[in-house]
Amino acid sequence: MNPDIESAISAFAGSAALTSLFIILALIGTLNPYHRPAIPMLGASTVILASTYLFAKTVGIPADSVALRMTMSEGVFALFDILSLVFLVSTFMFLQASLRKRPEDPLLALLESETGPE
Amino acid sequence: MAIAVIGIGMHRTGPAFRRHPFGTPMALLGLAVMLFRVEEPPQPESEVVAAAIDAAMWLLPALIGSALVLMGAPLYWRTRLLPLLAGWALIVAAWYQYYSTMSVVLSDALRWVSALLGVILAFTVFALCVRTAERMTPQEPETEGLSEKERKYVESVLRRHLEVADEP
Repeated sequence: MNPDIESAISAFAGSAALTSLFIILALIGTLNPYHRPAIPMLGASTVILASTYLFAKTVGIPADSVALRMTMSEGVFALFDILSLVFLVSTFMFLQASLRKRPEDPLLALLESETGPE
Repeated sequence: MAIAVIGIGMHRTGPAFRRHPFGTPMALLGLAVMLFRVEEPPQPESEVVAAAIDAAMWLLPALIGSALVLMGAPLYWRTRLLPLLAGWALIVAAWYQYYSTMSVVLSDALRWVSALLGVILAFTVFALCVRTAERMTPQEPETEGLSEKERKYVESVLRRHLEVADEP
């Protein structure tokens, strides 16, 4: 297989698996009596297993626990790759936020008149 | 990392003024476990640790700079010049560090798009599962209106919080 295509499939499978793992961990962290996490957890687990299978088939290794760990590692590399894109978009948003003028807020003006300007 | 993510998830529950008491300690514990290791992790985790250390060189100033810019920008209050300028200095330093340590080539674009598609797939499956779970939840009967006693109680709470004197 073309190395670029193999790398792209690995990034796809890895990021899908790692994001699903984060979703499961977030579901565990936010567990409360009103939660119904069974179906979302089942869905996220299915994505992890399917991604591991896809990664193992692409790389040519057996779909076992080692493949699962390698898929998660690929996910970390893939997420590090797209973090620069996220930072690029964030930088533009920070630029907009830094340059904009805050609209006059009558409630804040009232608060300032009571407490004095800061 | 799992402990840190669970801690962050816990921290996000509840109102902003009363977060989960175990959220922050758990996130810090996860971070400590990641940073202070007794032995070298095996393959492929050791490569992940090496990549994380490389990325931290630009990610840390980027994160601190972003937080400072958000504190200094006129989002909720007036501009605070010092945090704003310090934040932008760190963001510029982060970009400089990124370009001096990371090698970006055009063929990486395919990998970026694939990684984004993977993230989108995971969130789409999650959203569909949440929708299915909600549809399977039996409808609760309509809540009855407040009784006179409850209405008076709610009214007094609102009055107290809005600092209006109670009616005689």
